[in-house]
Amino acid sequence: MTMTHHNHDPEKCRWMFERLSEYIDNELDEVTCKDIEHHAEDCIPCQVCLGTLKRTIALCKEMGSTPVPEDISTRLRALVQSIS
Amino acid sequence: MPKKSKQRKKQDKDAELIEAINSGQHSLYYDLVKRYEGMLYNFGLRICRDSQDAEDLVQETFLNVFKYLKGFRYETKFKNWLYKIASRVCIKKRRKSKFAPDRELSLDEFQPSEEAHAVTELPDWASAPLEKLLNNELSETLKNATLSLPEKYRVVILLRDMEGFSTEETAQILNVTPANVKVRLHRGRLFLREKLKEYYDDDTSQP
Repeated sequence: MTMTHHNHDPEKCRWMFERLSEYIDNELDEVTCKDIEHHAEDCIPCQVCLGTLKRTIALCKEMGSTPVPEDISTRLRALVQSIS
Repeated sequence: MPKKSKQRKKQDKDAELIEAINSGQHSLYYDLVKRYEGMLYNFGLRICRDSQDAEDLVQETFLNVFKYLKGFRYETKFKNWLYKIASRVCIKKRRKSKFAPDRELSLDEFQPSEEAHAVTELPDWASAPLEKLLNNELSETLKNATLSLPEKYRVVILLRDMEGFSTEETAQILNVTPANVKVRLHRGRLFLREKLKEYYDDDTSQP
């Protein structure tokens, strides 16, 4: 996916970098969100940072579960019986 | 019971079962165990390094739950209380062991380098459809990456991004401030992002 024109402003990039998670989690006020979006529109490295961090979070959410081994369930049942 | 707690009790899907247990139907404890053993076991696997420790965590957590269930007052959801107990069990276990103290992660170590500013596009692993990426090897990589995170960051990642608790809930479970949760979460995510980048950079068979 090729992106738009690169407008690199190190200070602004750093400012955005510090807030990426809060931005993704919708924990920032509207003005700050708009500011981030405005900066990201022209800054390819920040778009990449945002995109790869979003994907990291999405992959974490998709991490599969391991079924509880039968013997552990059996021991838990015995534990419950011993105390109830 | 304070009004807020009453409200929470009404909304808590476990309230009915807890009421029954607390009114003397102790045989129903196992229903509560069945409801949460899978979640807790997986939480244990992701926070501890082996399945024996995960099993110990599940057992100790449920023992504590049974011990204190009578006094549970819906100051939070039952599930959140359960995870609070599990997290405490975990911290206690860690204190008993001889692990080195947690390394601090600094934001600077994840700040993209000047070379990274030469990138022109989103890498395939971040732009391809999610379902094309999911496989056992990736799952194993992510699991190992999570385990290599210092514990105080790892537990926040688990609670926020894997178990789905909010910032406020995570702060309550861990007894830290929401600001602290946000700091740990951001650094933990950046750490995992680096590991994923390394994994895909080494991988010639990108999706």
